Amino acid sequence: MPSALFCAGLGLRPAGGKIEVFQALQRLHMTIFSQSVSPCGKFLAAGNNYGQIAIFSLSAALSSEAKEESKKPVVTFQAHDGPVYCMVSTDRHLLSAGDGEVKAWLWAEILKKGCKELWRRQPPYRTSLEVPEINALLLVPKENSLILAGGDCQLHTMDLETGTFTRALRGHTDYIHCLALRERSPEVLSGGEDGTVRLWDLRSAQEVQTIEVYKHEECSRPHNGRWIGCLATDSDWMVCGGGPALTLWHLRSSTPTTVFPMRAPQKHVTFYQDLILSAGQGRCVNQWQLSGELKAQVPGSSPGLLSLSLNQQPAAPECKVLTAAGNSCRVDVFTNLGYRAFSLSF
Amino acid sequence: MSSESSKKRKPKVIRSDGAPSEGKRNRSDTEQEGKYYSEEAEVDLRDPGRDYELYKYTCQELQRLMAEIQDLKSRGGKDVAVEIEDRRIQSCVHFMTLKKLNRLAHIRLKKGRDQTHEAKQKVDAYHLQLQNLLYEVMHLQKEITKCLEFKSKHEEIDLVSLEEFYKEAPPDISKAEVTMGDPHQQTLARLDWELEQRKRLAEKYRECLSNKEKILKEIEVKKEYLSSLQPRLNSIMQASLPVQEYLFMPFDQAHKQYETARHLPPPLYVLFVQATAYGQACDKTLSVAIEGSVDEAKALFKPPEDSQDDESDSDAEEEQTTKRRRPTLGVQLDDKRKEMLKRHPLSVMLDLKCKDDSVLHLTFYYLMNLNIMTVKAKVTTATELITPISAGDLLSPDSVLSCLYPGDHGKKTPNPANQYQFDKVGILTLRDYVLDLGHPYLWVQKLGGLHFPKEQPQHTVIADHSLSASHMETTMKLLKTRVQSRLALHKQFASLEHGIVPVTSDCQYLFPAKVVSRLVKWVTIAHEDYMELHFTKDIVEAGLAEDTNLYYMALVERGTAKLQAAVVLNPGYSSIPPIFQLCLNWKGEKTNSNDDNIRAMESEVNVCYKELCGPRPSHQLLTNQLQRLCVLLDVYLETESHDDSVEGPKEFPQEKMCLRLFRGPSRMKPFKYNHPQGFFSHR
Repeated sequence: MPSALFCAGLGLRPAGGKIEVFQALQRLHMTIFSQSVSPCGKFLAAGNNYGQIAIFSLSAALSSEAKEESKKPVVTFQAHDGPVYCMVSTDRHLLSAGDGEVKAWLWAEILKKGCKELWRRQPPYRTSLEVPEINALLLVPKENSLILAGGDCQLHTMDLETGTFTRALRGHTDYIHCLALRERSPEVLSGGEDGTVRLWDLRSAQEVQTIEVYKHEECSRPHNGRWIGCLATDSDWMVCGGGPALTLWHLRSSTPTTVFPMRAPQKHVTFYQDLILSAGQGRCVNQWQLSGELKAQVPGSSPGLLSLSLNQQPAAPECKVLTAAGNSCRVDVFTNLGYRAFSLSF
Repeated sequence: MSSESSKKRKPKVIRSDGAPSEGKRNRSDTEQEGKYYSEEAEVDLRDPGRDYELYKYTCQELQRLMAEIQDLKSRGGKDVAVEIEDRRIQSCVHFMTLKKLNRLAHIRLKKGRDQTHEAKQKVDAYHLQLQNLLYEVMHLQKEITKCLEFKSKHEEIDLVSLEEFYKEAPPDISKAEVTMGDPHQQTLARLDWELEQRKRLAEKYRECLSNKEKILKEIEVKKEYLSSLQPRLNSIMQASLPVQEYLFMPFDQAHKQYETARHLPPPLYVLFVQATAYGQACDKTLSVAIEGSVDEAKALFKPPEDSQDDESDSDAEEEQTTKRRRPTLGVQLDDKRKEMLKRHPLSVMLDLKCKDDSVLHLTFYYLMNLNIMTVKAKVTTATELITPISAGDLLSPDSVLSCLYPGDHGKKTPNPANQYQFDKVGILTLRDYVLDLGHPYLWVQKLGGLHFPKEQPQHTVIADHSLSASHMETTMKLLKTRVQSRLALHKQFASLEHGIVPVTSDCQYLFPAKVVSRLVKWVTIAHEDYMELHFTKDIVEAGLAEDTNLYYMALVERGTAKLQAAVVLNPGYSSIPPIFQLCLNWKGEKTNSNDDNIRAMESEVNVCYKELCGPRPSHQLLTNQLQRLCVLLDVYLETESHDDSVEGPKEFPQEKMCLRLFRGPSRMKPFKYNHPQGFFSHR
């Protein structure tokens, strides 16, 4: 398809080929870091390394009369200067972050052309030489706050009502990759480049527990490094991966119970019913039994995956799909866990 | 009884008179009409009904008499005979009466017949008269319609309208008082007026003719005067030549060239005129000349007596030529092909001088039978270049102008009609002949004012000045940049082959002072080889690896790490950047599919190439990209996290100053170099 683009420019314009080649190269080197489903469940936002956010219409792409057109974004806009590393959706807003700033967009207006951000906030950073990035956003619905974590090794909590930063949780010695919320107690898990997973109590703003994953022989893989790239939790269980192997932990006893046999570092993991879904280096979305057996590997279209998104919005049951994105300009859509139905493309 | 007897007698008398009556009649007809007995007249007097009664009665009497006779005869006796006799006499009388009645009936019949016949004849006469009258009526009706339908010739004449007629015609013709009421008279008057007018116009026409004759004569005289002027002017020109030479004014030379230009075919003429104009107006470095034999060109315009110039001639001519030579089929086809690909004997030379005294020589040809233009290019430089092996294709006439405009390969004929011509003589594609003929690039056609539609074959193509003019400037600029960028590449290749990345001083700020990775190899590779490399799949799938591009393989080394870079060099360099695909051999093979940082390095050189362009016209891009690659490899190797489990020092100690080693979900390395401070950061 890019070749068609390239060849079409025969109209003797000297600049024609140049722009098309550049566009083709840009698409070729695109990475989609983050995804988020709209509150209505019908739209999917995807953010790439050029700071653009594209909104895809899942309902159009999944409908029976879907054309090639409907797999293209409904709208694309420049949201940030740097890459869009993470996005979450509240019931009205899309929050996106990447290069040190978090921006809010109204879902209701985002589909209109020339949509402006609703507000932007920057957590109080201490370094000035380089603006630290934000790698993870986490909504805490109970206290209506947002937790930001990333380059400055701290977790910042922001009150969504007032927009002020209330607390900063310090402890990590290197930048933070990922966050996860424990649903019952107001506790947050964070995993970082320093190889630790830390458990924080939000009420007391204290570190409760530290697990140094790389020190456990079962899962440590020194040649890959210590970093923890992904994290998910469900009641007393936590699964994390990255440099060390993907491992299921029992939190109260802080012991690894299952090590999943996957060589490639994993970049995203999530619990789904009685399965664990993970993705990372390599084309496949992996499905694991809790016992450590690989239930299935479903190949996608990107050479490496960075994020998975399960659309479980009750408002749009027909759009209940799994989407996966990573080192390409395509977002793979899995209508059931068994196979890739099609790809949305920037 | 008495009455009976009287009746019996009467016919007797009649009968006795009847026999001589014939002779008597002729004589007594006139003299004794009253006395003459005529049975015919009698008929009129008698009543046929009573005759019939008489007849019936007579027959009954006869029957009775017969019966009596028979009765008497059977009785027999003496007096019987008398009685019988008596009876016989009575019978005779009765017979007489019957006879009379019979005659009368005959006469009546004849009379009736005569009467009928007479009446019939009368009716016939009347009938005939009626038919005659009808015929006459019909004829008269026909005559009437004929008269009614009669068309006069004057109806076809387009007469002036009625008002005009009364306004303009003199009263002695119009005679308004008579003609107003009478349309017939009116028409006659109008016709008169028409005739009058026509006579006048004919007069005028004759006058004009004589006038024209006069003017023609005048023109003749003036022409003679002008032609007598030419030789005088010529002699003045001849006389002024030494003065021109003395004053360095090459009017005459230019004039001569224009003279030759008249024999150029239209597209080449357009090119010549436009190029000369452009050269004079905008670009003094452009020189235009015409080459080839003028005589041959002149010969082309002569009527083709027995020459074989015209391919489009009928089969008859083809037959003639084959008969004359009688060659084998192959040779025949070969000749036809040559004929089809024949060039016009004249060609236009453009010399484009660049700043560094290198010259691009372009020779434009016109293929007469294909109606397309081709170009051959040659680059000469001021100083002799040492040709690096990998630079072989850079300045070759075959590829130096390839893809001047995107997609313009110059291998296919731009004229859709040519394909049909090729089919006839068995040429598959023009590609096999371009080396000999020159390349039919699209821009060449545009310079010659030839415009070919994309879709419709068979289209009348005419040379158009405005088309040529609109493309002249951009094309000349593109040509210049092309030559300069090729020469710049040529120079860069010469160093690259020796492992030196020739970073110029004005681009030095893009790179740190110390770069440890070294370029060790720079070779050209074939398109097919590039396609088969395992780490170039993305580029091939994206359609960026076309066979018009040039392909190279670079090898950058540092210690045990070897970085292979497959390079696609678009002919449109440097506006279209070279595209790099990397494969690192160090602790296993790493490509963009299994290492995000290799992918990031590729995007650093491919996508962020704009910061590597250096000063305009950015011919140094390739060198800068390669140097950047060396820097990137340094960063990659030095920031690789040390494996704690392996004994010994790191192979590549970190020498570069970095703010952070990794950043973001995909753990990018700090590839961005910040110039004045000299540290590396993340993009």
